[in-house]
Amino acid sequence: MTLLADPDSETQRRPPAARRGRWVLRALTGQRAGLAVVVVVLIIVFGTLRPAFYDSRLVVFPLLRDIATLTVVGLAQLAVLSIGHMNLAVGRMAAFGALVSGFSYQVLGLNLVLGLVLGLVAGAAVGALAGLIITGTGVNSFVVTLGLDFALLGLVTLVYGQFTTLAAFTVKPPGMEELRSYSMADLCVGDVCGSPAVPQLLLFTVVALAGVGYLFARARTGREMLLTGSNATAAELSGIPTKRRVIGAHTLSGLLSGLAGFMLAVTAGSFTAGIGSAFLIPSFLGPVLGGTALTGGAVSVIGTFMGISLTQVIQQGLSMLGVGLESLNIYLGLILLVALSAVRIRQLFTRRRRSS
Amino acid sequence: MTEPATDTVTDAETRQRRITPARLRSTEATLLAVVVIGFAALSVTSGGDLLRGPAIQTVLTYVAVPVLIGLAQMVVLAVGQMNLSVGALGGFTAVLMGSMMADAGWPAVLAVLAGIALATAFGAVNGLLVVFTRINGFVVTLATMTVLIGLQYRVVGTRTIADYSPGLKAVGAASVAYIPVILMVALLVAAAVAVFVRRTVPGRWLLASGGNPLAARLSGISNDRILVLAHTLSGLIIGIAAAVTVASAPGVNSSIGGDWLLPSFAAPIIGGVALTGGSVAVLGTVLAAFVVRLVDVARAQFSLDPSWVSLVVGVVVLGTVVLTQRRRRRG
Repeated sequence: MTLLADPDSETQRRPPAARRGRWVLRALTGQRAGLAVVVVVLIIVFGTLRPAFYDSRLVVFPLLRDIATLTVVGLAQLAVLSIGHMNLAVGRMAAFGALVSGFSYQVLGLNLVLGLVLGLVAGAAVGALAGLIITGTGVNSFVVTLGLDFALLGLVTLVYGQFTTLAAFTVKPPGMEELRSYSMADLCVGDVCGSPAVPQLLLFTVVALAGVGYLFARARTGREMLLTGSNATAAELSGIPTKRRVIGAHTLSGLLSGLAGFMLAVTAGSFTAGIGSAFLIPSFLGPVLGGTALTGGAVSVIGTFMGISLTQVIQQGLSMLGVGLESLNIYLGLILLVALSAVRIRQLFTRRRRSS
Repeated sequence: MTEPATDTVTDAETRQRRITPARLRSTEATLLAVVVIGFAALSVTSGGDLLRGPAIQTVLTYVAVPVLIGLAQMVVLAVGQMNLSVGALGGFTAVLMGSMMADAGWPAVLAVLAGIALATAFGAVNGLLVVFTRINGFVVTLATMTVLIGLQYRVVGTRTIADYSPGLKAVGAASVAYIPVILMVALLVAAAVAVFVRRTVPGRWLLASGGNPLAARLSGISNDRILVLAHTLSGLIIGIAAAVTVASAPGVNSSIGGDWLLPSFAAPIIGGVALTGGSVAVLGTVLAAFVVRLVDVARAQFSLDPSWVSLVVGVVVLGTVVLTQRRRRRG
């Protein structure tokens, strides 16, 4: 699946910090600092053109809630990108996790936390299954997760049809509505309260970011995943249990997908089979814009958050400027293409500079 | 390369063993058996209804597009690439053809040809982007897919274009001895692809480049050009699939192509195409499309939920990869 390109074009070359942001193209090329600058500039531009962009209750709150959910989706994809794999079933794993959560609320009558835990376990189990099939057969992760996507799509819809009349679990356990609409303003320590613009749902994302960030930056397991991603043979020869790391990465991906499914269900107010159907594109957009290598071995956790923020800010801004929903897709696709080309252009430039 | 009749370029010494011609045939024989037995079983359970001419025609009509999109995916899989924009490009081209005829008043022939040319050009753009950015074709086509979905919606919006050329629709509904003309078109394309890959020099290059890019480069083949060629060919076949859709569907809207992506992979994978590149299985892909169609017929016959089709096809895809791998290891 890797390209026929000369090998060094695939490696992630990070220019020293001093060179960062010297020109716009480089700023757009997945460098986190550059990405942050672009996001801030866009927020200022959109805010100036449409002051309503800063409306904390109607714009910022839902925007952050979407960013929160999609960042977790991006992290789910990042988990398997780290080992050089893909998870085409992120959306359907999310749907499966949400199905189990919704089932536990409606049919089993469990409380909010227990249902969430069951949903996460279900997501992780499906992810582990994908990992087991991949390591057991040696088949490309793409095909396995694609097949799984088909199967889950059918299964999830069938279960909803079996247990509900309207194809949705609508029972809300105590606390779910609060989770949906409460912001940090409802969370006070003494007299100090948070901002009403920041949804409490974002706390899940912060936990996920911290956990995944710790895993890949500090924990031995995470480093071993990255090594498996950059060179599986070398990793195997240096005594890393690569199969277990592959299964682990897919399990983590399933777990995070399940979390994202739960978050979307909380946002939407009901558990349906449609959850996660729009996750695939953002799941790649976030990590890729953020600087995660598709070939494995390099991840950028905070970059994923920024990549997702960028796409969501652009979507929100453009739709407030009156750009129709249909055109948003065109712009998103073009942004991804420009970002991809920019990485290549930078590589060509750095190579030329080095050779001269 | 010495055996022009085989579908694969084998270099068993340097890489993991590919599907050899004998095994390929066995995949196809299995699929053929499944199609025949499945059809016979469904005929029996339907009390013979399925054997009537019009019923056969209905079954066959809905195979044409799956065959074509399977082939469109297969030619990029042959060079170790994948094309996620199959559905989006097909949908965009279909609504554009419809709009050219209904809104701009173009004659059907011109609209169809222009649409196919445009789809081919988009395929070439996919290939050029992959070559230029040196990024995994997966992400590049993911990006173009997003753009094309947007373009499709921009052309057609929420309406359904149905008021176009009655002549074209007549072609879409026409049949010879209950075999739909559009299925013949699809099978002709399949035959052309088979001849291209087996008998022509660029076709052999395609497999050589997909099988072992380094060896191909050393023997003077431009891998970049082959990549662009494969994506262009994919675009061309998608253009034809779009034309078939416009001809056979009652109308075109923004949902056309939305459900093409998964079947486009299912047909070649079940048909025995290796995802690592270097092999094609035209007959296998065609037969696999029939198998998937039979699942759908069975679902309709027993009036089950449409979700069963996804479930069964997904399990079959997973089962196929696991079994193929087992068989290959034993061999």
